[in-house]
Amino acid sequence: MKSALFIAIVIISGALAGAIHGTVNFAIVEPYLDQAIGIENENLFASGEEEDNPQFWADYEEYRVWQKSGQVLAGMILGIAMGSLFGIVYALSRNSLPGKNDVTKAVILAGIMWLTIYLIPFLKYPANPPTVGDAETVVLRSILYISFIAISGFGALGFYKLSQKLQSDKKYLGILGYVIFIVIAFFVMPENPDEVTAPMNLVNEFRLMSVLGVTSFWISVGFILGLFWNKFDDTNLSKNNS
Amino acid sequence: MSTVQHSVSKTSVSKVAILALAIIFAAGLFVVGFDQGHIFSVVYGEQAFVDLTIHELTHDMRHAAGFPCH
Repeated sequence: MKSALFIAIVIISGALAGAIHGTVNFAIVEPYLDQAIGIENENLFASGEEEDNPQFWADYEEYRVWQKSGQVLAGMILGIAMGSLFGIVYALSRNSLPGKNDVTKAVILAGIMWLTIYLIPFLKYPANPPTVGDAETVVLRSILYISFIAISGFGALGFYKLSQKLQSDKKYLGILGYVIFIVIAFFVMPENPDEVTAPMNLVNEFRLMSVLGVTSFWISVGFILGLFWNKFDDTNLSKNNS
Repeated sequence: MSTVQHSVSKTSVSKVAILALAIIFAAGLFVVGFDQGHIFSVVYGEQAFVDLTIHELTHDMRHAAGFPCH
């Protein structure tokens, strides 16, 4: 596949999947963000940091409109970013993936990446709504989160490479090795230092919606890139023309 | 003598394309997941860390996608 075409289908599939992610979030996550920010405002009034007056609400409406308006745009930017990683991994692993066509292969890879670089890190460091989180610890929390994503992702890659050297009846040892490795990492990595002070039912429902939103991205990006690859890959084109 | 042809499907994408996508990945992830005014500070200086324009624009997605926000 030509480089320009490869980059184009990766970026377009990431942007489309990201737009779907942003739209899903808009429908199912935004109500929880509004509730959490409402609690945040109540805390500001109670502590005396802000006054409950028309000026506050005018400013609040202005920045909430800006924040909400960015949901789909940010989804597309994040989608292009994660879609780029997905495209790289797909291009390098396509011949090893199970499945008869590119849609199946891409959806399977999307499932593997969803599990290893999203869901497992999420279980260690779950998403939190506004009002949870101390600004003083945001750098530490960011480092912990990105580190765990890297540990899980590179761990999965390493054990996959290792399993390739094993006989076919022992390849399950690669998966077993990854499971043991990630369980150890799970307990060794430090906890999120911030206490959750918001109501737990709000936090748990927000987290569930967050998972559904991100899941919609991974399903979409796998399906869309697989469709594009099926349509534009040289080897598929030559098969269709023969 | 019969000739056996093996059809091997190769994924042939250039290293330049991989590098370009790796840069897009890192830049996009930073914008949505981690920027706290850093990008605009190149133009607006310290004020960018107060305004947090990109941070606020990506705020809702940042929370929803699981990134630490504030």
